[in-house]
Amino acid sequence: MRAFWSLLAVAALVLVGLAGAAAAGGRVILALAVPYAAFAVFLGGFCWRVVRWSRAPVPFRIPVTCGQQKSLPWIRSSRIDNPFTVPAVVVRMAGEVLLFRSLFRNNRARLAGERLVLGENKYLWLGSLAFHWSLLMILLRHLRLFMEPVPALVNRLEQLDGFFQLGAPPIYLSDIALLASLGYLIVRRFRDPMVRYISLFTDYFALLLLLGIAGTGMLMRYYLRADIVSVKQLALSIAAFHPVVPSALSPVFLVHLLLVSTLAAYFPFSKLMHAGGVFLSPTRNLANNSRSRRHVNPWNYPVKTHPYAEWEEEFREKLKEAGIPLEAEHAGNARTD
Amino acid sequence: MTDAPIAAPVPGSSLTEAIAERWVSLSMNSWPGAARPFLSEEKDPFRNPIGSTVRRNLHILAREVLGGMQEASVAPALDALVRLHAVQDLSPGDAVRFVFDLRTAIRERAGTVPETMHARIDSLALMAFSQYARCREQIFELRLREIRFRAECATR
Amino acid sequence: MPGTLVQIESKPPRGDWTDPHVEFRKGSICYSAAPKNLEYLGLPNPRVWQPLDADWKLPPDWKRILLEGMKDRLKKYRSFRLFMEICVRCGACADKCHFYLGSADPKNMPVMRAELMRSVYRRYFTLTGRLFGALAGARELTEDVVKEWFYYFYQCTECRRCSVFCPYGIDTAEITMMGRELLNLIGCNTNWILEPAANCFRMGNHLGIQPHGFKDSIDFAAEEASEITGLKIEVPIQRKGAEVLFVMPSADYFASPHYYTLLGYLMLFHEIGLDYTVSAYASEGGNFGLFSSHEMMKRLNAKIYEEARRLGVKWILGGECGHMWRVLHQYMDTMNGPADFLEVPVSPMTGTVFENTRSTKMVHICEFTADLIHHGRLRLDPSRNDHWNVTYHDSCNPARGMGLLEEPRYILNSVSRHFHEMPENTIREQTFCCGSGAGLGTDENLEMRLRGGFPRANAVKYVKEKYGVNLLTCICAIDKATLPTLLEYWVPGVEVAGVHELLGNALVMTGEKERTADLRGEPFAPARESEALHA
Ligand code: HEM
Ligand code: SF4
Ligand code: SF4
Repeated sequence: MRAFWSLLAVAALVLVGLAGAAAAGGRVILALAVPYAAFAVFLGGFCWRVVRWSRAPVPFRIPVTCGQQKSLPWIRSSRIDNPFTVPAVVVRMAGEVLLFRSLFRNNRARLAGERLVLGENKYLWLGSLAFHWSLLMILLRHLRLFMEPVPALVNRLEQLDGFFQLGAPPIYLSDIALLASLGYLIVRRFRDPMVRYISLFTDYFALLLLLGIAGTGMLMRYYLRADIVSVKQLALSIAAFHPVVPSALSPVFLVHLLLVSTLAAYFPFSKLMHAGGVFLSPTRNLANNSRSRRHVNPWNYPVKTHPYAEWEEEFREKLKEAGIPLEAEHAGNARTD
Repeated sequence: MTDAPIAAPVPGSSLTEAIAERWVSLSMNSWPGAARPFLSEEKDPFRNPIGSTVRRNLHILAREVLGGMQEASVAPALDALVRLHAVQDLSPGDAVRFVFDLRTAIRERAGTVPETMHARIDSLALMAFSQYARCREQIFELRLREIRFRAECATR
Repeated sequence: MPGTLVQIESKPPRGDWTDPHVEFRKGSICYSAAPKNLEYLGLPNPRVWQPLDADWKLPPDWKRILLEGMKDRLKKYRSFRLFMEICVRCGACADKCHFYLGSADPKNMPVMRAELMRSVYRRYFTLTGRLFGALAGARELTEDVVKEWFYYFYQCTECRRCSVFCPYGIDTAEITMMGRELLNLIGCNTNWILEPAANCFRMGNHLGIQPHGFKDSIDFAAEEASEITGLKIEVPIQRKGAEVLFVMPSADYFASPHYYTLLGYLMLFHEIGLDYTVSAYASEGGNFGLFSSHEMMKRLNAKIYEEARRLGVKWILGGECGHMWRVLHQYMDTMNGPADFLEVPVSPMTGTVFENTRSTKMVHICEFTADLIHHGRLRLDPSRNDHWNVTYHDSCNPARGMGLLEEPRYILNSVSRHFHEMPENTIREQTFCCGSGAGLGTDENLEMRLRGGFPRANAVKYVKEKYGVNLLTCICAIDKATLPTLLEYWVPGVEVAGVHELLGNALVMTGEKERTADLRGEPFAPARESEALHA
């Protein structure tokens, strides 16, 4: 049901895009107003969320340790999975952000005879990594539309990405990887009973939206060739805050743009914010050195405790009987009861 | 499926396997609704140790009931199943009901249930009942021991 | 046909998690906290009630209290806010929880446990949740949700296994802690947690042992250790000016098999001539506050530093306990420090400076002992443990809240000759919980514990069959209290012991009488002559 609604939502967006493309006024809205608004929402929303997170204090040092601590000098500590210093934390975080280290730990088990053998299951890790890296690659390649002259790095990336020179125009590796990994992630949401159970509307929606974006994008590149000159004209003018709407924009392009804008506007209000949040996670971005350096809680407040003096008062007779030394020896003698 | 008499189904034959698989899926109905899709669909033994324990041992039992009925392999398989059921949120009936599902599975897959099978299933059911009672008894003994220890602490 | 005679309970085949209804059954819940304990601790809404009742007697404005409590915590804890917002429901954590693996209840998947809270968060604290409701995964906060929270937040042992596998480190234990704090605000708590907390607050330890009882127990242990070794072993209580304050979980001097671990400590301290003292005021290292609220944790923990200051010791040594060390390692210094009245711990025997404890000034006994062994300060005869085939269960908190993995293994390998690890992915940071931690280890909850302990037992069974393991060692008081029961049900024939019990067996003490039996009184394995005596 939730998947159905998300499919419906994405389909509706496509239809809106197609309808808008048919009218001249619609084209201006789709090519200018929507992207500007969406981008503004994205920037504002993203910053707001990150600022709100970073303003919330981290009262305790609670890293989850995934290896041997640093203790005695002759015991080999796991410097990255259980970081003791800030540089080690940086390495740990880099592993999380660039390589999805924790996801790599994922395991499954096989049964050999009667006993449990735990094997590895790296599909999710591989699928997500392929998805995110190809997404990054594609985003970087898009820079050629927004910059004149095209930066050398972007050209180099393009060459690398189209390395195999398959077909004409050459198929980019990142395109294949993105489609394949998105396909895997979507199929997984439907097929895996556990993941199906936990999935919400937003989970399907994000994936389908990305699939829509990737689909329209590839359609333009490999099939219904878009007029790159006018697209670039639009992109440059948008980037320069001097908008001009060329007349040769195809409906597919406008749908692509609408879907991207939707993604941008949706981003700060959704789980996609994990992109910012991953950097702030206190179980990962703190060093496990809590016994060697005091971590300060900004809102630490005094609490009601049971101080020693009160305790001794309460148990004085029993302490005396047991021969446990008292703090207030003389006071004990003065008592008459 | 087939009308072939199953007086002597070959253990490990496809018919035995089919009956066992059917038995597995019938027996899943003893579990609470929300748990069923996981138990029956997820094949990975580590992601789903309960489902895989159930499947593995039901297959053993099916082979034995349809085949040699060797006490030495029936008892541990039955124990593993009942021991698992005994700690779950299952009523006593649900905890041993899986035994009777075998009758349905055989009828559905083989057409008829021969007399010998009835007798074997009945004795399996009795074994399951007594094993269930033993497990519950053990749980209560263990609980009692913990309570007794707690009382000991309180009075020391 | 008998099959149809059995009543078929028909429940919907494919449950939707948004339905909060849960059925409470005896055997898989903990009972409510007695009003006297709430009153003693000054906690809200003390009353007589049980989770099995229909009416939980919540305060009239319970909803406002919960939502305000949530708002307050969202402001105070970045972890809470972040974990409410960034989960992508990838499912990597789903099958990592022992309760899910052992019960097949999908709401025991960590992501789902967190989602129970997240859905309420979305409804009241996010724009999309307020606008789109169920479509955005939001749920109304109702009394049924409160009951559901109670059921599932007291069905999480805060073991953090899920967090190890989460790409963002989302720690469901942290969410459970928040959930329990919130439930505490409206008086939904369990007696197994609050009674020890109240006892600890008043008497100094969970079991409510008064000072004279404490002294008796300690003296009894000292006498027994003396008898076993033929030496005169004494334990100074609250002696001012000692170098070291030793703090242990109270179970060590009152429960079994913990008690043998205590004998091990006492023999070790005597042998090396440690200048130490124990205290009846700080007679508990464990901290059930961790299982109810941060504030309670701080209240119970305060006495350790206070006592160290009063007695004028130089540093603190801590015994074998799991959740005790989570608090000591990750919370104590922040909450009740700075410990500037203490000195950086130095081992008086080896001169080793424990650099890693420079600020908190508290050393784990396994760190301390491993250092002694490494410097050759102990004479050990590992053959005295030949009757045990040993495996080691990493307790969750030292493993995932600290990283104390190698020290106990080093000790075990020095004091025994038959040590076997359980399968790779069930130990160290991936260790499976005993299923009874975080205040769930009570007898009324036994069925649930047996479910949660199933994955751990599975791994123990494997080493039992493969290597003939008959002893599971661990460094946690809760493990020692609850694993014997669990193993008896799932893997009969495997006993439970602390690491320092085996050390006590192997320790060859200066001037000791000839020992023929271990600390439990079981005779050493025969045929020792063939192997040259280490000592
Ligand atoms: C620093 C940047 C980022 C990191 C470290 C990161 C990491 C991850 C990880 C580890 C997962 C879980 C695995 C999975 O379910 O695939 C994930 C999921 C996901 N990410 Fe990212 N991500 C980042 C940025 C982004 C961005 C910019 C987007 C989108 C525009 C995005 C979209 C998604 C989506 C849609 C999923 C869910 C996949 C599913 O539903 O199965 N991520 N991310
Ligand atoms: S692993 Fe983390 S992100 Fe994935 S479902 Fe679990 S809590 Fe959410
Ligand atoms: S902390 Fe442990 S018990 Fe709690 S949800 Fe995670 S894995 Fe399960």
